[in-house]
Amino acid sequence: MPPREGIYGLLAEFNTPSELVQATEAARHAGYRRMECYTPYPVEEAAEALHFHKNRVPLLCLLGGVMGVTTSFLMETWINVWAYPLNIAGRPLFSWPAFIIPAYEWTILFAGLSAAFGMIALNGLPQLYHPVFNAPSFRDGATTDKFFLCLEAVDPKFSLTETRAFLEQFPTVSVVEVDH
Amino acid sequence: MSFGHEHHGEAGGHHGHHGPRSLPATFEAPEIVSAWRTRALIVAAVAIVFTIPFAFSHEGKNHILRAYLMGYMICFSFAGGGLAMLMLQYVSGGKWGLIMRRPLEAMSRTIGLVALLFVPIIFFWKHLYQWAAFPTAGAVAQALSNHAVTLEQAMTLNAKRAMLNPTAAIVQTIAIFALLWLFQFLLNKWSLERDADPERNTERSYDRWRIRFENLSGPGILLYVILLTDGAIVWIKSLDITWYSSIWGLQFLVGQGYAVLALGILTLILLSRYEPIKTMLRTTEQHDLGKFAFAFTMLNIYLTFAEFLIIWSGNVPDEIPWYLNRIHGGWWVVCSADFAFHWLIPFCLLLSRDLKRNKKKMIWLTCWMLFARCVDMFWLIEPNFSDAAGNLHITNNIGILAYITVPVAVIALWVAYYLTQLKARPLINLNDPHVEELLEPEHAH
Repeated sequence: MPPREGIYGLLAEFNTPSELVQATEAARHAGYRRMECYTPYPVEEAAEALHFHKNRVPLLCLLGGVMGVTTSFLMETWINVWAYPLNIAGRPLFSWPAFIIPAYEWTILFAGLSAAFGMIALNGLPQLYHPVFNAPSFRDGATTDKFFLCLEAVDPKFSLTETRAFLEQFPTVSVVEVDH
Repeated sequence: MSFGHEHHGEAGGHHGHHGPRSLPATFEAPEIVSAWRTRALIVAAVAIVFTIPFAFSHEGKNHILRAYLMGYMICFSFAGGGLAMLMLQYVSGGKWGLIMRRPLEAMSRTIGLVALLFVPIIFFWKHLYQWAAFPTAGAVAQALSNHAVTLEQAMTLNAKRAMLNPTAAIVQTIAIFALLWLFQFLLNKWSLERDADPERNTERSYDRWRIRFENLSGPGILLYVILLTDGAIVWIKSLDITWYSSIWGLQFLVGQGYAVLALGILTLILLSRYEPIKTMLRTTEQHDLGKFAFAFTMLNIYLTFAEFLIIWSGNVPDEIPWYLNRIHGGWWVVCSADFAFHWLIPFCLLLSRDLKRNKKKMIWLTCWMLFARCVDMFWLIEPNFSDAAGNLHITNNIGILAYITVPVAVIALWVAYYLTQLKARPLINLNDPHVEELLEPEHAH
């Protein structure tokens, strides 16, 4: 991939989560879509203001679970019926009640692993470089006590001057340009 | 909940939906509750009318009696389970508990009616329980020689007589209801006193009442589990005198939690069309209660299946016939339906976040869960009797349909009384720090 150049976006810094949420709602209302909030701890309202709710983690989790239950059940059937048939107390070889517990455990295991790794993958992690770290204010405050809203340059509505003016009408600590 | 709400105050007026909402003007139950009660009574009357034709044959009378026991046991689930859930929310705390407290109190206050519902069973119980039909060693010996009981039944009847005989059963039933009545009386009384506390809405008052309720509820839960285990053995398990299962009481406990949550969620959602619950029930708490119901759905199948798996693995003649009677001869259909209704359908649906947050869909699902409890109870009760064990049939056995009409009548009567109790008090316990939190804006979890 050729190195990207130019501006990544405008990063506004806030002192409180409610200021961040208000600015995010206003930005969405003004027509911005390519934007992201960065907070030191989960702020549900920010996710809501970004209209960020649906993702594919539940689907991955479900697929993982279905994969787990089928794999385990079929494997046990194969072992008990064909690979290593044993007569246990005269029961039929295909004694499905005995297969349920391992199949259940595999469902949980596979669903849990797919949810965790699926979440990491869908987040785009591991990621070695992200432009917002170019902003000194972000490096200092993003994991401690500051709240950030980044309006990205790829948004069709983005304009260096107008977007900056838009952000500055809020009680920001700073608004800085972030380079790629 | 980590979001600092103190910041909302500074946020200013133009984002008003971020601030706390104000308390509803009234906390009285809406008028519609009386209309629901009338409807419940109409349903009960219609169900009684439909039951009458069954009363003219011998098998019909038997089925009415068994179906009545089923209706009684479902009502006991609501009253006793409601009390247990009430105590559980006192010891665990949380906003879900506050919003559900008054419906749970109303359920627990029906314990007197449920005790009354048991009285008819005493008069007819020699048609239900072998230990009531043959209460002495002499009667058992005679029944054995008449082939009215098997040798195994005769020996177990003699061995279990200390616990299972008419006098002991009456004593146990009275003890269960007396203790449950005492606990619900204290909890309900204190709940009103808590609201009337002159020091209300102060830290001191919150702490004093919280500790008082906790101290009664903690031992109360333990006691309830013991009493319920005893009740479930005497009223239901002893229908098959020879059977043993150590998980029986716990299974009923979880089944009651399942039923009480379904009824509680249903009550809250129906009430949420009107004030004050309209303001007080947030999607967040509905979602939490949905998750709780999901946990009970899972725990219920876990215990039921564990019991089956252990008995199936052991394959001992003492225990396995109980399952064979419930699987063979047409019962396979009911058994599979029980599994699908009780677990498969609620489990798959409750997985969905959107469904748990949707009022209309949760109404349907909770009604379905209550229906599933009834199917389960039918599967537990009817195959105990020799005419039905491993032989589900309707030809010359039309009275089995009483399992539809009689429980509907009993439960509808109970619902009417429950709604009366629900109307008797304001719908929210106001002297509680969670009231303020319920008025805060929603959080998306």
